[in-house]
Amino acid sequence: MFDRILDPTGLSARPTGAAVAARRVPSLKGARVGLLNNTKQNAAQLLAEIGKRLTERYGAVVTIQRTKGHVALPVEEPLLKEIAAVSDVVVTGVGDCGSCSASAAADGILFERAGIPAAVICSDAFEVTARAMAEVHGDPDFEILLTPHPVAVLDPAQVAARAAELAADVAARVSEAGR
Amino acid sequence: MTLDAAEPVRADDAPDPLDAAHRSIEYMYERGWTDGLPVVPATRELVDAFLATTSRSPEEVIGRLDHLKRQVTVEVAAINAVMAGCRPEYFPVVLAAWDALMAERSTVGGGWQSTSGPAPLIVVNGPVRARLGFNSTGGVFGPGFRANATVARTIGLIVRNPLGVVPHVLEQATQGVPGRWAMCVAENEEESPWEPFSVDGGVAAGVDAVSTTLVRTSEFVDNRHTGDPELLLGDFADTIARTGSWIFRHASAGVVFCPEHAQMLAAAGMSKADVRGWLLERSGRSKAELARAGKNGLSGNVRRQDDDGELEGFDRFFADDSPRNLPIIVAGARNAGISMVVRVFSSWSGAAVRIEPPR
Repeated sequence: MFDRILDPTGLSARPTGAAVAARRVPSLKGARVGLLNNTKQNAAQLLAEIGKRLTERYGAVVTIQRTKGHVALPVEEPLLKEIAAVSDVVVTGVGDCGSCSASAAADGILFERAGIPAAVICSDAFEVTARAMAEVHGDPDFEILLTPHPVAVLDPAQVAARAAELAADVAARVSEAGR
Repeated sequence: MTLDAAEPVRADDAPDPLDAAHRSIEYMYERGWTDGLPVVPATRELVDAFLATTSRSPEEVIGRLDHLKRQVTVEVAAINAVMAGCRPEYFPVVLAAWDALMAERSTVGGGWQSTSGPAPLIVVNGPVRARLGFNSTGGVFGPGFRANATVARTIGLIVRNPLGVVPHVLEQATQGVPGRWAMCVAENEEESPWEPFSVDGGVAAGVDAVSTTLVRTSEFVDNRHTGDPELLLGDFADTIARTGSWIFRHASAGVVFCPEHAQMLAAAGMSKADVRGWLLERSGRSKAELARAGKNGLSGNVRRQDDDGELEGFDRFFADDSPRNLPIIVAGARNAGISMVVRVFSSWSGAAVRIEPPR
């Protein structure tokens, strides 16, 4: 009986995307790793530490480290292409705020669509918003790697310890051998 | 009695229209379309009455968040304005407020999703204030006045419904801001000693205009204690430079002066530019005070703890004395010396938007 009430969302013609996962690399040995830092406090350090562990433990090679132009928005296409050109796998994050956690999830999905397996690292306080963003971008089941909140206030030793905890999860996320 | 959108409350053959009205309200709650308060059902006829107040096409896209794949058109804005409780003639004010908001850097980035939970502060100038009944005097921050309350509420419904930024999901405010979606003030031009705020935004005095910026909170300055304008401004400078609000190298803050404070400053010969210039020089904290809050150092543009930092010296709060970083508005009753410092989220766009005249 409420058919006459107009919908305020404007969503009637909402497009839906399809989930696309990239093929995982067989193993990280010799794999080229791209690191995409979203500018949040400790993000660059955490990614660098993870890169170091992927190198030491799995024989990967970090080929590129870049920083996003806008923390709150998904990665720009030229930057995505630049990273994709020299990477077999990508690690990105840290989702540690309202908008950047969501955009980190979108970044991971964009890399997967470009054929690059991607590990997205997010503070566990922002899991819901990251998952909501994954749904917006057509991949509601996209796997996000969670690390305990907070990240921004950790000292260098604590960042290194987080990286040590996350390295195996990252390897499992992007490679067959790591599973 | 239970109230449910799906179940008629009365079983007889002559339904009471009030029952249907109550059920329609529940229906809209169930759809997730409300901000927590009841909304008005938007029908084609009502929305058309709103659309008739503007020359703009219903299909015109007036805002988009591409990263969320969402957008809002004039027609969808009208639906939300109906729901918020606006009258049709308020709709041109809603559109101008929205356009002013879209000129803010943060609103087209991730501002609505931010942990800081910023809120629009909408300022209305011109004859439209009296024509539509916008409050500019006592209790100007609300509530109690339909035009002020519903225009501000419409902005919140647009962010929630067409833009899809819903609390606990894509909206991640840690605590939010008191008065979110409720701050729409008309400037008290009649008792202001200075030119209207819209003039700072590039619209001539006497022309209907809306200016909007995002703010994080409001803090009162109650000073009925001195007749010395510099002591009065010193009280404002102290509140403005509170370290808790200070995140980056510099910050922005606006002042909504009550008429009494504004008139005292003007009587001492101060223009708005003079007031801004004074506050630029004196608003800030010593390095030692900033060190006690862990904010004495800088990492790029962000303040941080620096245990080896210099403790001598004074850091200015404002980068400059432009109205973008220090907007000044006059509103409220002339009954006391009580003004408000508002925490501008990044900086004001500096642009007022004209309101389309009645058709």
